[in-house]
Amino acid sequence: MAKKKLLQQTARKLVTFTNPRSFVAEQFRTLRTNITFLSPDKDVRTMVVTSAVPSEGKSTTSANLAVTFAQEGKKVILVDGDMRKPTTHYTFNIKNTTGLSNVLTKQSTAEKTIRSTVVDRLDVLTSGPIPPNPVELLSSKSMDVLIQQLTDMYDLVIFDAPPVLSVTDGQIIANKCDGTILVINSGHTEKDMAVKAKEAIESSNSRIIGAVLNNFEISKDNGYYQYYGHTE
Amino acid sequence: MEEAISLREFFKTIRKRLSLIILLTFLAIIITGIISYFVLTPVYQMSTEILVNQSPAETGQLTDLNIQTDLQLIKTYSGIIKSPIILDQVMNEMNLAMTTDELAEKITVSNADQSQIMNISVQDEDSKVAMEIANTTANVFKNNIMDLMNVDNVTILSPAVLKGNPVAVFPNPVLNMAIATVVGLMLGVVIAFLLEYLDTTMKDQEDIKDILKIPLLGVISPIVEKAEIVEIEKMTFKRKGVIVDGQEKASPADST
Repeated sequence: MAKKKLLQQTARKLVTFTNPRSFVAEQFRTLRTNITFLSPDKDVRTMVVTSAVPSEGKSTTSANLAVTFAQEGKKVILVDGDMRKPTTHYTFNIKNTTGLSNVLTKQSTAEKTIRSTVVDRLDVLTSGPIPPNPVELLSSKSMDVLIQQLTDMYDLVIFDAPPVLSVTDGQIIANKCDGTILVINSGHTEKDMAVKAKEAIESSNSRIIGAVLNNFEISKDNGYYQYYGHTE
Repeated sequence: MEEAISLREFFKTIRKRLSLIILLTFLAIIITGIISYFVLTPVYQMSTEILVNQSPAETGQLTDLNIQTDLQLIKTYSGIIKSPIILDQVMNEMNLAMTTDELAEKITVSNADQSQIMNISVQDEDSKVAMEIANTTANVFKNNIMDLMNVDNVTILSPAVLKGNPVAVFPNPVLNMAIATVVGLMLGVVIAFLLEYLDTTMKDQEDIKDILKIPLLGVISPIVEKAEIVEIEKMTFKRKGVIVDGQEKASPADST
């Protein structure tokens, strides 16, 4: 019973894969296009998805974004940088026995820990066992090495990071990446929290690509947005 | 232009909280209805009409002056009716257990359109008691006016009669509920705007543009619950083909 529920949830979250013609999948494609167009000069190879406070939809957004980029033809890897409350392995229904924490502590190599997914061209690096010192691990030299290695192997590296206002992990990852995407949960994220999160990212010397407005209810009378949503 | 936008915001807020406004309005109507019909004790009104007129025997003819005098008199009479002299006697006759003031509050003396007709209206929770008070007061007044004013010019036109099914004058449920509708509606609108004002969360594209001042990459609608789980069967995972790892040969999907 519990397993079945989990699977359903997985399917729900990975909408770009399970239902690529849906309205939400279309929105993720728009998101992909905008990210591409917003960085015409500098090719963003590593990006981090974060938010101000927990449960705003970071993992769902990053997973679907990774799927969308993979569907476009890019070789993508999704790294679960949240070593405190990892979720990516649930989304892709993978075991989280080894992962990022093992690679960073040199217990394993990236090649051994990276897993392929059902989505073509999309690989996943789960968080691994929860370490006592995620901040030290993320700011370590081996993190830089890993990012370099992943950049060589893939066209695009997407990090799923913890919320920036809760822990510094997000800022550390953002500092090492080309760009940061801030997820805003419509109707839940407090305005001052969002501003603080933006300042936190900026203070980490990271480039904010932009914001994603998650859980946004598009009003019925907005015909323009509704046009493509019929297949759902 | 500024006003046009705020007007639009106004309707947007109203529409967003429309269910709340309607709910509050209906709640107000229902509560008022229940209170009006079941909680409040209905009050009945009975009235006796009295004609004030100089007896023709004294003056011989009806003149304007006489009528003027009568109208002046009516004002005096109103005072007399509600005075303890009359009311104490009414209470004695009816054995009412209340103070003079309480009884005075139940009685209203009016005179319609400057006419010579006085109207003694009595309100009471019991329509029969109201009727009796009205009639007794009128009688006591008629009997006493001779001694007090030394005139005999009061005639009882129509005594109060108890009809089959008297209608309560208070409460007026329909009026109350109409008031409740307006009050509920206004309360709803005020609360809607209060909620809007107190809500400090990020809402839409404009918030990201105005508050965060960073590009909006896209909006994602809530992912609907009725996701198709057909594809889930295909979601089996394998280790990357190139790498062979003896320790974890089993497919992760199988072992979960």
